[in-house]
Amino acid sequence: MNLAARFPSAIGHACAITLNTESPVNDAFMEPIIRVEGLSKSFVTKERKKGKKGKRTVHALKDVNLEVYEGENFGLLGPNGAGKTTLIKCLTTLLLPSSGTAWVNGYNIEESEDLVRASLGCMLMGDRGLYWKLTGRENLDYFGALYHVPREVRRKRMEELIALLKLEEFADRTVETYSSGQKMLLAFAKALVNDAPILFFDEPTVTMDVPTARELRRIVRSLNKEQGKTIVYTTHLMHEAEELCDRVAIIDHGQIIALGTPNELKSSLVHEDAVHLEGVFPAPTVDRLRGIRGVRNVVVQAESSGRSTVAVLCDNSRLLLPRIIEAVTGNGASLEYIKPKEVTLEDVFIARTGRSLAVDTREVVKEAGKDGGGRG
Amino acid sequence: MAAAAGSRGFGLGRPGWRARADVVRTVFVARIKIITRYKGAILMEALLPIVFAAMPVLLGTTVASQQGVDPGAVFCENTMVSGRCTTNFRLYMLIGASTFTVVSLMLWLIGYWVRREQETGTLESLALAPARRIWVLAGVTTYAFVRAMIAFVIAIALGSLIFQVNPFERGVATALAFLALGLLPLWGLSFMFGAFIMKIKEADSVIQVLQWVLAFLMGVFYPITLLPPIMQGVAGLFPPTVMTDAVRASILDISYFYGSAYGSLAVLFAMALIVPLLGYEVFEVTERRLRRKEGVGHY
Repeated sequence: MNLAARFPSAIGHACAITLNTESPVNDAFMEPIIRVEGLSKSFVTKERKKGKKGKRTVHALKDVNLEVYEGENFGLLGPNGAGKTTLIKCLTTLLLPSSGTAWVNGYNIEESEDLVRASLGCMLMGDRGLYWKLTGRENLDYFGALYHVPREVRRKRMEELIALLKLEEFADRTVETYSSGQKMLLAFAKALVNDAPILFFDEPTVTMDVPTARELRRIVRSLNKEQGKTIVYTTHLMHEAEELCDRVAIIDHGQIIALGTPNELKSSLVHEDAVHLEGVFPAPTVDRLRGIRGVRNVVVQAESSGRSTVAVLCDNSRLLLPRIIEAVTGNGASLEYIKPKEVTLEDVFIARTGRSLAVDTREVVKEAGKDGGGRG
Repeated sequence: MAAAAGSRGFGLGRPGWRARADVVRTVFVARIKIITRYKGAILMEALLPIVFAAMPVLLGTTVASQQGVDPGAVFCENTMVSGRCTTNFRLYMLIGASTFTVVSLMLWLIGYWVRREQETGTLESLALAPARRIWVLAGVTTYAFVRAMIAFVIAIALGSLIFQVNPFERGVATALAFLALGLLPLWGLSFMFGAFIMKIKEADSVIQVLQWVLAFLMGVFYPITLLPPIMQGVAGLFPPTVMTDAVRASILDISYFYGSAYGSLAVLFAMALIVPLLGYEVFEVTERRLRRKEGVGHY
């Protein structure tokens, strides 16, 4: 690749390029800025079951093919353990793939690691990855230097970010004194410090309060729409994905099982309706629902104190509603609420996987808690 | 493939010397800021070599006085090499303990740095940045070097007062030259040690064990010529041993392990050229292997 032709301003400078604040907006996504070809990643993990040690190969990614277009806000959806973080780690050069490869901003992830890294701004580990004994400002300065942002530009950039994210109040305190939300904001600022064309955000709003999360989503939208940044955004919050993303890939068990705009994905269920039920439903109720002709899938989404929320995906909810009501009444069942509703990305996930993303995520977190593991 | 939209990010050009120096400086300054925010840390470690040297000095003095002999003469007799020895056993021990502290601190600080960064997630943050690992490591090793030298200088100054010895009688410039040259291979050893810690993910026990192996190999309190021939050969290939031996020989006017000052200089110079490159290579290979398997952030 002819770097001089592609990045004329980047060649021959002692430090790096000057801050480019021009903001071209791409209305049409024509060319892929990230291309993934047959990417697979397997790990050998050690297991200890009942005092016996063993090894197991985990296939975290299986032959993933993907293109993300320039200027796109691309969502990666999936429960914990689905492979989305592994995919991001491969794309950001933190992990080397077992097979297949990928190009980011035109650079191969294995052959031009430094150039891939220079093309990216990442917030991958939540509030981890910050120096707690340094202040917020010192952290930004530190990581700015590691991204070869010249000192003068760095200072200006830091001030801009501190103002943008309203960090003034705590930017000069050591990070150890921050709340979780403040740490997340600083980690977000860190991802923007090198003004990269591609931004990776892995569940950035996870520990934020509602207004801060809303504000952060507004900034993400503005970075994408006004500054033309390409954004890869992973979340298991469907409403976030629907609100922010131009296209969404649903990843499960290391494979992309659905890909398209939120509307495309939802309209793929055009022949399907979703009916949500709340109440007390003994186990045979779900089987009875599944037995109704025209019902495609039934998923128990939440359970607490014997009460459940059940999603029923069916061909025609109006036609089937009397039979659904009949199935969930009597025999100890008690229906408290029923609502045919619009198809959401959550329903798409259910239709493709047979599971609810919310329940799946909770179960994985519960399992991790049992094993003494945590988010990482 | 598309060209990048808007800003193209920094570091896409080949970073020049100023950008690299900026990385080294920023990492160094950040480490110094962090350690100075833990009160008393630097001062306390400067007392280590004095305590370390005091043990054999007091023991030797007590035993000798009980037997009614001059401890200096006994030490000289026991450590005679090629017909040369010193009676100034206090300074001998103090120099040995102080150079040992420099070596131990360098390895400890690098090993502990890798481990700490792994645990806090900052090692992954570093791995995400385009700055080459060698410049980050240069910043950290410079910090470790400065911290070790502060401890060395305080220990020598304070120890000289406590043990009533004068380290400045002769050969100070030569000794400092040997110390400076000996620190270069020590950087390489630090990289290797950092790679080892990154792989095994347990710093404390390894460092504890290694310290005693180091003390044994370096001949902190005795000339390594007292060791069996095979052990002498192994110890003589260990850069800190050559450094300690040469520093001590130049100040106390005793014989060098490699025969002369020039012999030790040649060996240390070769080590200064080879070991840092070897150490960096080991670090890079280990990091790449980890990225192939599990990622550098696993702890």
